[in-house]
Amino acid sequence: MNLATRKLTLILIAAVLGFASLRSYGQDAKLQLGNLDKLSQKAARVTDVTLDGSLLQFAVNLIEKADDNDKDVEQLQSIIKNLKGIYIKSFEFDEASQYSKADIDAIRSQLSSPRWSKIVQSVEKRRNEYDEIYVLKNGDKVGGVVILVAEARELTVVNLVGDVPMDKVASLERHLAPGEKHSDKPKQKKESGHDQE
Amino acid sequence: MHFSEDDLREALKRKDPGEGFTQRVMARVNQAQPGNKTVLPQKPNGTFLSWLTHRPAWAMALAAMLLLAFGIGGYQYSEYRHAEEMRIARAKQQQLQQEAERARDQAIMALEIARAKMNHVLQHAQLQAEPTDKIRRERL
Repeated sequence: MNLATRKLTLILIAAVLGFASLRSYGQDAKLQLGNLDKLSQKAARVTDVTLDGSLLQFAVNLIEKADDNDKDVEQLQSIIKNLKGIYIKSFEFDEASQYSKADIDAIRSQLSSPRWSKIVQSVEKRRNEYDEIYVLKNGDKVGGVVILVAEARELTVVNLVGDVPMDKVASLERHLAPGEKHSDKPKQKKESGHDQE
Repeated sequence: MHFSEDDLREALKRKDPGEGFTQRVMARVNQAQPGNKTVLPQKPNGTFLSWLTHRPAWAMALAAMLLLAFGIGGYQYSEYRHAEEMRIARAKQQQLQQEAERARDQAIMALEIARAKMNHVLQHAQLQAEPTDKIRRERL
């Protein structure tokens, strides 16, 4: 093998590795949540959302066609247009301790890379509550967000992939959601009841 | 055996059939069975075609009727096909629309969950921070 061939081979290998790393760079904001599926049998209420690819594009197109003068719709459009995927697994249990620490560790291990930053953490050990928000930095932009709510009777993982405007998500109007609302008020009642025990 | 001319003349001379010959013949005819009739083979195509060839106006009319019938049939079939294709396309469009609406509802619901959970975590974190601030303020 002469010098030119060797150089060409090295360049090719570098290009393949670079391409592979670029692909993984875009994909690593999506977490593998398959290990939580087994909890569906124990849970009293399961919410499983997988929205990406063409399905998300459908939703984006439909939302973009909606009335631009409506502020709520405008806000929704600004959030959803840069999203590449929405993945949610939420389990609510009738009894406490229905999921194991290993279930949460399997999620946390995927967030241990230096590109993920834990921006909010709330731990209440007495009530066995671990709430965390992680952000994946993608240069100056946000590449993905993970909201982990691990409480005695609830385990929720929200994984938003893409440039997520977090301030806008937090200030979304409640009445946007069709059907049942996911309010955190009843849970506060539960918590207060728990306190009295 | 040898026959003389006189023998032949005797044998072939006219004989009287006797009285009631006509009645006997008619009785034999009436006794004949209808099932014994021999059916003569008919020409299946030749008859109609020969009938047509002798009547060109009728032939033309028949041809025109056939053409009209095929034309109307073909048109109706193409209309049916077109309507069917339109129906399938509309159903597909409707299905896509429904899928899109479902996806939109799911996206809105997902963002609502994200909002609720994000605010929930932020609230909890804030509540945890508040007592520490209080203690700090009291110490100061």
